[in-house]
Amino acid sequence: MRMLRQLSILLAREVESLYLTPIHYIVLTVALVFNGVSFYFALQLSQGNVEETVRLFFGESPLVWLVLVLVPPLLTMRQFAEERRSGTLEMLLTAPVSEIEVVLAKFLAGLAFYLSIWVPSLLYLAIAKSYGAIPDIGPLATSYLGIMLLGALFTAAGLFASSLTQTQILAALLATVFNLLILLVPFLSAFTGIETIERFFVEMSIARHFGDSFSKGLIDVGHVSFYVVLSGVFLFWTVRSLESQRWR
Amino acid sequence: MPARFDPFREAHTNPVISVRNLTKRYGEVLAVQDVTFDVAEGEVMGFLGPNGAGKSTTIRILTGYLPATAGTVQVAGLDVLSDSLAIRQKLGYLPENVPLYPELRVEEYLRYRGRLKGLTARNVKAGVERVMDQCGLMHVRQRIVGQLSKGYRQRVGLADSMVAQPRLLILDEPTGGLDPHQRKEVLDLIRGLAHDHTVLLSSHILAEIESISTRVMIIQKGRLLANGRMDELAERLQDAPAVAVEVKARRDVLLQALAPILRQCGEACDVADLADGWVRATLRPPVGSDQREAIAAALRGANLPMRELHRHQRTLEELFLHITAQAAQRTGEELAAAQAAAHAAAPSAGAAEGAR
Repeated sequence: MRMLRQLSILLAREVESLYLTPIHYIVLTVALVFNGVSFYFALQLSQGNVEETVRLFFGESPLVWLVLVLVPPLLTMRQFAEERRSGTLEMLLTAPVSEIEVVLAKFLAGLAFYLSIWVPSLLYLAIAKSYGAIPDIGPLATSYLGIMLLGALFTAAGLFASSLTQTQILAALLATVFNLLILLVPFLSAFTGIETIERFFVEMSIARHFGDSFSKGLIDVGHVSFYVVLSGVFLFWTVRSLESQRWR
Repeated sequence: MPARFDPFREAHTNPVISVRNLTKRYGEVLAVQDVTFDVAEGEVMGFLGPNGAGKSTTIRILTGYLPATAGTVQVAGLDVLSDSLAIRQKLGYLPENVPLYPELRVEEYLRYRGRLKGLTARNVKAGVERVMDQCGLMHVRQRIVGQLSKGYRQRVGLADSMVAQPRLLILDEPTGGLDPHQRKEVLDLIRGLAHDHTVLLSSHILAEIESISTRVMIIQKGRLLANGRMDELAERLQDAPAVAVEVKARRDVLLQALAPILRQCGEACDVADLADGWVRATLRPPVGSDQREAIAAALRGANLPMRELHRHQRTLEELFLHITAQAAQRTGEELAAAQAAAHAAAPSAGAAEGAR
């Protein structure tokens, strides 16, 4: 009960803070433009086939992947780095709140802001419908689930990066590197030529998660738990990172 | 619901803050060494020391923000490590540079902090009104914190520390960076709180501590060098007052006239030449002997014209500078000895130890 109470107070503050930061509106605008352009081309290429449009939009549009990889770091970079730089972290952590509550509040707020970027894309579906196509709800729903899970993972990674430094730009760069590693290591592992390593990383391949299940309307428990577990690991590291800075 | 245990209610007999052999090490640097003290309920404890002496580190450990390397710290009978959340609920803390969220309005900020510190949605409005009134923030309540002057930011920080009505306030340099006028206002505010709060405040300015504290601790290089009531400290640390005399005479004549007295003073005598043949001699008679009468008689006997004779007691400011300057030159062992003496002399630390 106490934790929920503190969490809701912190969450309200974090959401407010995200919406009171001018740079986030720039991020939001650029992301919307990228998404709009991507959707336009996906729709052109698929000639109005909604399922194909969704697959192209979420699976193959470089601009959408740019949004997926870059937006979470830009939203999370301030979250701890700025609080540490300005000293408000001391105010926060000497109030009766635990590190876990603080980290969860920042994570949920960051994720909520990230998801709000995707809300306007629901509008695209209405446009698709006006082309005469009837959207198949299954692949759509799982595509959005994939977007949400990936967002959660990248937000958690971004928070961890932000907890390591007091320089926002460094936090954003670090988070982007984390994201790129998570995305690209499965591809790079093919070069090792060792079959077990390749097989292991194929399971971790985010491109494959989207290609094989999320954009096809399938929910693979293994794929879903990959995001949940890895997000949890990053959040745990963030809590640890906050604690360890006090112990140093 | 059963009556909840309120550590502050129970605390009159026990100290509100109890620090035993506190040591804090940052890597190779020893920031605080083996410090022991108590703060009793209702006391206003002044924590004095030059910048970098270990004040903020000690305070951060008390508030649970930093862990100690060794030693124990109890606040309201609870251990800062194991009961950190419970303690944080009970104390109001103003960090040194008053970090605030610049994008919020004063009232919004205080409301958020009040909620975070456990005020219910219903109580928080009244609580925020109360502290804004107390801290003189009513007319800036709608202003954005980032646009406030340093003095107002300080008041917002102070209001923040008081919003949940804690019985214990820990204020790290609450007057830092303020002009004399603002400083007086903040000090008056703290003085007003003193009658129903226990306060620990740090400063590197003795005069302001002197005006509101019931007790003072002096820390230097991480060692606690003095701990006691202001007048006790003055008495214990005061060395013998100097006696200065201005005479119209040649140096050698003057020294000869004063020879019998100088023998008693261990020959410690500074003579400075002034204009028009006047000289000024400063003597340091041993503690407890006031040589003014003897000096006057000797000068009369030698028929030397005298225009001034006075005894100079060090002010507390000079005393503090003296103690800390002395400490700056001392070795670790000498400092440890000085600290041991301070611990032994500290009244309430001894009493609490005895009660155990």
